[in-house]
Amino acid sequence: MSRSVTRFRYLLGEAANNIKANRTTTVLAVATTTFTMLGMGVFLLLYLNAQEALGSLKEEIKVVVYLRDSASSREIAQLRSELSRDPAVAAVEFVSREQALATFRTQFPSEERLLNGLGDNPFPASLVVKVGPAHRSSEQVGTLVQKLKALAEVDEVLYSQDWIDNLAVAVRYLRVLGMGIGVVLAASMVTILANTIKLTLYARREEIEILKLIGATTGFIKMPFVLEGALLGGAGAACSLVLLRGLFGLAESKLALKGTFWGVGRGLAFLPDRVTVAFLLLGVMLGCLGSLVSLIQFRDARS
Amino acid sequence: MIEFFHVSKSYHGRPALQDVSFTIEKGEFVFLTGSSGAGKTTLLRLIFCADAPDEGQILVNGRNLLHLKKSAVPLLRRTMGFVFQDFRLLPKKTVFENVALALKVGGVPEGVLRVKTTETLGALGLAHKVNALPLTLSAGEQQRVCLARAIVNDPQVLLADEPTGNLDAELSGEILDLMKAVNARGTTVLLATHNRDLWRRVRRRVVRLEQGRVVEDGCPEV
Repeated sequence: MSRSVTRFRYLLGEAANNIKANRTTTVLAVATTTFTMLGMGVFLLLYLNAQEALGSLKEEIKVVVYLRDSASSREIAQLRSELSRDPAVAAVEFVSREQALATFRTQFPSEERLLNGLGDNPFPASLVVKVGPAHRSSEQVGTLVQKLKALAEVDEVLYSQDWIDNLAVAVRYLRVLGMGIGVVLAASMVTILANTIKLTLYARREEIEILKLIGATTGFIKMPFVLEGALLGGAGAACSLVLLRGLFGLAESKLALKGTFWGVGRGLAFLPDRVTVAFLLLGVMLGCLGSLVSLIQFRDARS
Repeated sequence: MIEFFHVSKSYHGRPALQDVSFTIEKGEFVFLTGSSGAGKTTLLRLIFCADAPDEGQILVNGRNLLHLKKSAVPLLRRTMGFVFQDFRLLPKKTVFENVALALKVGGVPEGVLRVKTTETLGALGLAHKVNALPLTLSAGEQQRVCLARAIVNDPQVLLADEPTGNLDAELSGEILDLMKAVNARGTTVLLATHNRDLWRRVRRRVVRLEQGRVVEDGCPEV
């Protein structure tokens, strides 16, 4: 235990010495890493929020069934009862013509004049059908809609499936695009860190030779450089998270995105804690990877 | 302790060692002599596995270096100490840190490391220089630091490559005396030098190389 602690303290100290010895390069590497990871963070934030919005929308898939004016109360009650028994339906709510008019008047008080021009209550009665969780695929909702359209009492059926599907496609594209850009940014971050570590390696090549001579293992020689990469990657990730949080706050206040996300979901949310930790770990891992790349290149150059 | 059996080594087609065979017993003090380019450094490099022979076998402490795994090389080197003409000290580390590093790589606990390093530096007359940086020391002092680093972990073998090459006659004698003291403690010493004065001062075995071949092996008349 004591040996391991002594050794780890020494290796960490060496990594810190490397960083101190190359302050300018280190600052540049951390700054570049910060902006690279900020790019990744922006995409991650967009993707997670779009995914969240999609999830919220899917939870609220509603089919609005507009009824013919000729439909009697008995027919409507029978239809409502039939629909309630349908396994695809989670709930059915009846909205009378009067309720529809009242709702319109509450939501659009400035359009009162429009109603006057239309004479009597122009709104049809409707049934708002909530689709059950196990029946929310496009095909299942489509089947339900076709069934409803075929009913004699039904005038028109409206539902939000189309644009939910479009949003799902957009989220899929965003994920693919985000992953593509993420890979490019990660590769550039690894390259930047690898070049930074390479400078340290060349500056300390004589020291490395001496360490080899006095019996240092490969791990003992390499570890300070791997730790240096991890520290640089971690620092870059941490700085990018701080910047991302700042930008997120700015976007919330300036673009008035609080409340809901363009009218859907529970509003914009910052990265959850576990994603933040994973993001930091990603920075550390990419830093380690950069170090390993430079160590391999250094070994190949000297062999 | 160190056995060479028909060892040959060449670099880019140019032979550095040719059919070299000899044995050095445990506790011996041997001078390896010859003019520049005779193959002294190559021979030392083969002993500490910096290079591998093209032909022949080398045994150190009964272990055949040809069959030594790469991962075992650091462990072999920890049983050896090295002294070089150009000292090879780390300029940004203090005298104490330079010497302690030989113990640190072996994972020696901090307490033991401090005691052993302090003792060794004291024995070599460097107790007052522990916090100095190597470049602030004289050549003789730097070589003593290099020697301290080489012997701090009580090596079985001390390999020295032209250790007095940068020192005047007086300092050379001083370093030689220190090496004799190390040898007296039981450490095998192999000292490569082209300086005849050095091996003429003490009656010890001399292995002379010329153009990569052993041309003389024995204890010369002083």
